[in-house]
Amino acid sequence: MTALADITSRQRRSMTALAALTPTELRLLVRDWTVLVFAFVFPPLVMLILAGVFGTRATVGFGWRNPQHYYVAASVGVPVIALALVGLPVTLASYRERGVLRRFEAFGVSPSKVIGTQAIVTAGLILVGVVAVLAVAAPTYGIPHITHPIQTALGLAAGTLTLVLVGIAVGLATSSARSAQAIGLIAFFPLYLLGGGGPPKGAMTGAMHSISNALPSAIPAVADPWLGLPGLGTQLAVFAAWAAAALVAICWLVRRAAHQP
Amino acid sequence: MCKSASALSVAGMKNTAIEVHDLEKSYDGQPVLKGVSFAVGAGEIFGIAGRNGAGKTTVVEILQGLRRRDGGRVDVLGFDPGRERRRLRPLLGAQLQTSALPERIRVGEALRLFARLADGRTDWREFAEAWRLVPLLDMSFGNLSGGQRQRLFVALAMINRPRVLFLDELTQGLDPVARREAWQLIEQARDHGTTAVLVTHDMEEAERLCDRVAVLHDGRLVTCARPVEIASSVGTVRLRFSSPGAAGLEGLGRVPGVTSIGYDGATADITVEPVAVVRVATELGRLDLAPSDFTVIRPSLEEALVPLLNGDNR
Repeated sequence: MTALADITSRQRRSMTALAALTPTELRLLVRDWTVLVFAFVFPPLVMLILAGVFGTRATVGFGWRNPQHYYVAASVGVPVIALALVGLPVTLASYRERGVLRRFEAFGVSPSKVIGTQAIVTAGLILVGVVAVLAVAAPTYGIPHITHPIQTALGLAAGTLTLVLVGIAVGLATSSARSAQAIGLIAFFPLYLLGGGGPPKGAMTGAMHSISNALPSAIPAVADPWLGLPGLGTQLAVFAAWAAAALVAICWLVRRAAHQP
Repeated sequence: MCKSASALSVAGMKNTAIEVHDLEKSYDGQPVLKGVSFAVGAGEIFGIAGRNGAGKTTVVEILQGLRRRDGGRVDVLGFDPGRERRRLRPLLGAQLQTSALPERIRVGEALRLFARLADGRTDWREFAEAWRLVPLLDMSFGNLSGGQRQRLFVALAMINRPRVLFLDELTQGLDPVARREAWQLIEQARDHGTTAVLVTHDMEEAERLCDRVAVLHDGRLVTCARPVEIASSVGTVRLRFSSPGAAGLEGLGRVPGVTSIGYDGATADITVEPVAVVRVATELGRLDLAPSDFTVIRPSLEEALVPLLNGDNR
């Protein structure tokens, strides 16, 4: 068989890398209990506590909304931040550090395909995390009415896309899994707390509110249209700016990696 | 010496699998490869030896299209790895020096995954059996020993039944039994037509396995020949045999190529240039001193390569 005929025959039979890698990567991530706890246990637990603490009396800080409703809607954005900024960068940095990307690349699976698989798996787990939050909320505080369903879905999708890109950039920029974890955690808490996961944005001081408005947190992007609060337009513009910056960083980091010894 | 790739074709080889002409590569302005040229015949096991930093791994990475070259021409199975990597890739197998798998992936999952990536019909169980991985199928990669990992890497490198197989430090971490099993499997692959490029520090492995060995030093190719040729081209050969007395041995001193003669009262120990072995044997016959224990001790490949690895290619 000629080399060309051999290639054609092999390519016809082979699965796409994404289809082969995705189930395996999903199984590997599910075996990482730290990610599971952070993505699936932490958001519902914090929701249960905060919604229980603040009760149902609407105040100005919550935009005159029921605090229990607020924390259910806000907690839907927490798995996005947790998985995109803590789970994804650690896995990617670990793959780079240990030569896993190199091994796949030698087998014809480019780093971009492995990164793409990680992004798909992360997005899938985010959806599971959202379902977990709602599953815990339904029998306890109830699921509040979604005022703007399309905008809410748009906010969740835009937040997921942006934070996954930021997570990829962090994973490619950091030299080790440990440093990726440190940076991921440092990024997680401001996005969680200043995004309105703890105190609502309406209760923040002017300076903190301004900082909050510039952060790409998925929490207000989901909670605001869900509860009929304004602000999604600004949030989408912030997402666009962060996503563009992350994309530029990713391209530069991939090019740099190709020229390193 | 391998001054040009065309000069390197091996007698009996029908085709050339790899041709490299004047290959150049620098990292941050620091030259790593300075005009390396060689050719590898189809079905050949070709060794690349050299000290750490000599450029061996860079050469095999360029051959696989994992690194861009700065200059020169490279042809692997009729493709330029730098420009046609996607088309070439299904025909290559690689076991890299510094790479790993995800810690939590199980051996069986890794074999299944790479079989699916390579060719949906490959029976990964066959490779698990050949590389004694069946008892490890449910073990996580992170819990494997160094030797077990190495066996898995080589099995993964061969799972797509490649036409050209790159093996970087093939038997590093393997115990002596596993090492010999690995050699047998590589030879089996060669018998099925696979070309193997083997980067190694293990001269016993090179001598045992490689049809030819290229030696890199400081980014240049200093020699490229069959192991036995390299071993006999450098240094001297010792001849040992029993002798009832010193009489007659003095006459051997006049044989061209004999450099020293020793005698301890029972055994003669003569150092000669490789070309003088037959002359000495002939002279012993002429002197009616044909010992039954005449032994030729040639330098090992390692002994021959040490000066080359130190840059002495004279």
